[in-house]
Amino acid sequence: MSALLAVENVGFSYGSRSVLNSVSFLAEEGEFLALLGINGSGKSTLLDIISGFRRRQAGSISIKGHPQGELKRREMARQVSHLPQAIHADLPFTAEQLVGMGRYPHTDSWFESAEDHRYIREAMERTACWPQRERAFASMSGGERQRVLVAACLAQNAAVLLLDEPSTFLDIEQQLHCFSVLRGEARAGKLCLAATHDLNLALTYCTRLLVLANGIIAHDIRTAEAHDSKEWLSLFSDRLDMGTTPSGSPWVWYQ
Amino acid sequence: MSATQPLSFLGRHGIVRYSIPLSVAVFLGAGLLLPWVGAGPISLARVWRHQAPDYEILLQLRLSRTLLALVAGGALSLAGTLFQAMLRDALATPYTLGVSAGASLGAVAVIAIGWETFLGVPMTWIGALAGAFAVLVLVIGGAFGQRQISAFSLLLTGIAINSVCAAFIIILSGFAGLSRSFSIARWLIGSIDATSYVSLAVLATVVLLVSALILAQARSWNLLAVGERWAASRGVGVGALLVQGYILGSILAAGAIAITGPIGFVELIVPHLVRSRISPDHRLLMPCAFLLGGALLALCDAIGRIVMPPMELPAGAVLALIGGPYLVWIIRQRTTREEI
Repeated sequence: MSALLAVENVGFSYGSRSVLNSVSFLAEEGEFLALLGINGSGKSTLLDIISGFRRRQAGSISIKGHPQGELKRREMARQVSHLPQAIHADLPFTAEQLVGMGRYPHTDSWFESAEDHRYIREAMERTACWPQRERAFASMSGGERQRVLVAACLAQNAAVLLLDEPSTFLDIEQQLHCFSVLRGEARAGKLCLAATHDLNLALTYCTRLLVLANGIIAHDIRTAEAHDSKEWLSLFSDRLDMGTTPSGSPWVWYQ
Repeated sequence: MSATQPLSFLGRHGIVRYSIPLSVAVFLGAGLLLPWVGAGPISLARVWRHQAPDYEILLQLRLSRTLLALVAGGALSLAGTLFQAMLRDALATPYTLGVSAGASLGAVAVIAIGWETFLGVPMTWIGALAGAFAVLVLVIGGAFGQRQISAFSLLLTGIAINSVCAAFIIILSGFAGLSRSFSIARWLIGSIDATSYVSLAVLATVVLLVSALILAQARSWNLLAVGERWAASRGVGVGALLVQGYILGSILAAGAIAITGPIGFVELIVPHLVRSRISPDHRLLMPCAFLLGGALLALCDAIGRIVMPPMELPAGAVLALIGGPYLVWIIRQRTTREEI
């Protein structure tokens, strides 16, 4: 049985500036991976490459054992969904129309079928934005927008969800909601991979941390074993330290 | 959506459900009624009996230019809708991007040289198409090389292209001699004149064919209007779709401009209104924008015929008088929304 997502020795550079040297990891369904790393470490680039938006210059990627290059665009979109970091906020679409776009790779029919509508509704209910379905995206708050965009990824019903900094611009309550929805999806059998700068959010919700530095996965640790070594913390800042919360989970603070 | 809904007696769902039949009705209504509007009254009875001059005025002059306005207005409006989806900017149109200016320069060059037809096809068409594609390759081809296309820089490039083309047009009309430079000036204002039914049929065929190809991709335009990454990870072949869109949109714009002259604003006003008042979903937006764009241009042409008889105000001038203030209004709305 091959891994759901297998990334092997992936390399990429922008002109002469090398961003990814040799990135490798395997991930299975049920996992919620945090992709960590400082600005410019290549988190977004790696997500773009896995989603197929950018072409890798070295290495290989396979999904459910199928090499990425052999999958057609739409087959790929049925397996992998990507939530980009910046979505133009001034969109004229309503929430429901945006979520409906997740059904694009599943059907050729001109309008959404009853089945599509069931997926749309279910996805919006899971992120608690169904009551806002007729509102214009442009009129929503940052938190409401993020729920709609995550719902659009869920409606796509892909096995792998890639999220590029899904918690940026959200207030604390909304960040917690977003990550708990993703944890729920992972527990229901999906693979979630979220790039984030929020270490505590990652430690609280994710099952595994991938720390990207110098073009490789410098650390690949299970969250439960995160306190065993503080070495990975120094990649972010010398001022970080880690302890445990009263409930026993790891917590990072800066001095 | 917008707080004001002029069609609110139908309710939001009513507007969406009936938008296509209503647009078809407006389009057909414009085609049937507007030929009767003009400086002189036309008697239905005389037309019925094929009597001169009413029969000839209606069929040879007014009907052909109304049909031309319907086709050209629809083509421009759909091209605008398409460019706005591809660049995610309500101000992106063939006109603002410089594609129209390129088409104009091509057509003017042909008029200045004095070529009229080639194998039955008006040479202005070939000139306009060549000009439009030259701009397309220069501007958008250049932007494609860098992969990231910023709507803002493309619009600024469009301003530059417009100025350069305007300068060349002035140079060409300087060399063209009096009668040709007059026909250049007249053409540049953008007018709907009576055309032969043959060129009308050719234009209509091309426009309908290209429009059908564009409309067939309506779901993909929806995704592209959100973002390129968004579209790509939902199964859209973004690169190929953009190339297809720019080529088809330029054929529409150049085809219309070749016959009518550079008419702006249809492609700005109509998509903007349809998007905010009916639906941003391109499955509805595109057909409605086509139908209502055609009707608007035909209406402006009819208004131009009656405001100051016996002179005629070109449809392009009527549209500019309406469209200029409307553009200012769009820009002001944009800034207030961004400040919040």
